[in-house]
Amino acid sequence: MNTACLTLSAPICRPPARPDSAQPVTDADAPDHDLMLAVRDGDIDALGELFERHHRPLFGFLAKLTGDRAAAEDLAQNVFQRMLKYRHTYRDDGCFGAWMYHLARRCAADHFRKTTARSTPVDPADLERQADDAPAAAAVVQSRDDQALLHLALQRLERDEREVLLLSRLQELSFAEIAGILECSVGAARVRAHRALQALRDHYFRLQATARP
Amino acid sequence: MNCESIRERLLELNDGRLDAETAATVLAHLAGCPACRRELATIQELLAQVDAAAVPAPSPRLRSGVFAAIAAEKRAQGPATGAAAPAPRHAPRRSAWSWLNQALAAFGLLAIGYVAGTRWASPRPADPSTERELASLQSQVRAMGQLVGYSLQQQEQHSTNDRIEGVLTSATRRQPTPQVINDLIGALALDPSVNVRLNAVEALYAHADQEVARTGVLISLPREESPLVQVAMIDFLVAAKDRDAGPVLERLSATATADTNVREAARRALTEL
Repeated sequence: MNTACLTLSAPICRPPARPDSAQPVTDADAPDHDLMLAVRDGDIDALGELFERHHRPLFGFLAKLTGDRAAAEDLAQNVFQRMLKYRHTYRDDGCFGAWMYHLARRCAADHFRKTTARSTPVDPADLERQADDAPAAAAVVQSRDDQALLHLALQRLERDEREVLLLSRLQELSFAEIAGILECSVGAARVRAHRALQALRDHYFRLQATARP
Repeated sequence: MNCESIRERLLELNDGRLDAETAATVLAHLAGCPACRRELATIQELLAQVDAAAVPAPSPRLRSGVFAAIAAEKRAQGPATGAAAPAPRHAPRRSAWSWLNQALAAFGLLAIGYVAGTRWASPRPADPSTERELASLQSQVRAMGQLVGYSLQQQEQHSTNDRIEGVLTSATRRQPTPQVINDLIGALALDPSVNVRLNAVEALYAHADQEVARTGVLISLPREESPLVQVAMIDFLVAAKDRDAGPVLERLSATATADTNVREAARRALTEL
């Protein structure tokens, strides 16, 4: 794998001053950036603290992105494994959160590529005869549970729409950082998030209308 | 700014991410535009629901997998860890050499185990049947050499999940071949992931009647570091009724540094065997 693709193209946040490298950074109060620098420099245990801090939101992001909890667990594990494998690519001026979600996006892309490759090809001519909703989706609509409808609407977004929308909900990331992760301009990231939100609203309202008695 | 460009900023306005100047411009527009105000209200409601959508906690499998990877990386790093010993810039290459050393050590142990076991078990290797058995075991030792190479290749080229999938696929094969059993023993002896090693033990149950499977587990047991895998291996040896396991189990039950559960499992196994 080309490790160059795992480095972010531009410094996207100003990290705190680098700690004295002679001192192992394992303090629970140490900034993420310092802990990751410590991992890069050989203090592998520091990754445990980063795991404790970030595995829940990372798992939540991946679970909503894939709509599959088991896959999200595997992907979250892959993200931390890639942190270990590519730790030497983490830069002095890097930003841990942006780097982690950059890796998460790569892992998710690999996952989608594999699942797409494994799925059974469907003749487009047959699509017309297929039910619009899977039984699970029909049951969700029947239940009129707003959260379940929202989940369904989220899964009906295009993958890149869902991705930018979920990234924008991570409060630790600025739009400049999201743009760095998506490898596009800040303006383009902003427009994509806006369009994704509009698409989510449309799907959600359509599902609500279907659920209405 | 027109309505479209204002609406592109509503998400950031909602999250308080706009700079003061842009926020003032957007707010001024909203004051005079009912349509954009309705859009903001809709967005706020939708985003509140997106943010409130709860995701259950991941299972303990995630934690165990990540910490097993950390432990494996530390093992691969060797004793000189810590910030005072900076990691080399080419971690994968160093890791491969480390695994090669471990693999060769394992291969050596397996080879010694087979040869020594054969000689002790056959003090008079003169008759044709014993010679055939010896030839068969020598062929198995050669296969072990191949599995070391296979395992190294697996670790370098595949993720943990892919390797688990590989082990599970091996387990479902109806016709066990020596290569399948060798691959499983290779995974058990050499894979850095606890999950892969546990799955390998499970998969070996289907081949418990094969001497090579039992010997592979028995030889790997003293080298195993994870108490979870050690207990699984002991359970396997009991299920396989491997009476040759006695000396190894006795040593393990008497090892003060071994995990309490492992010592207890070893003592229980000795009773059952």
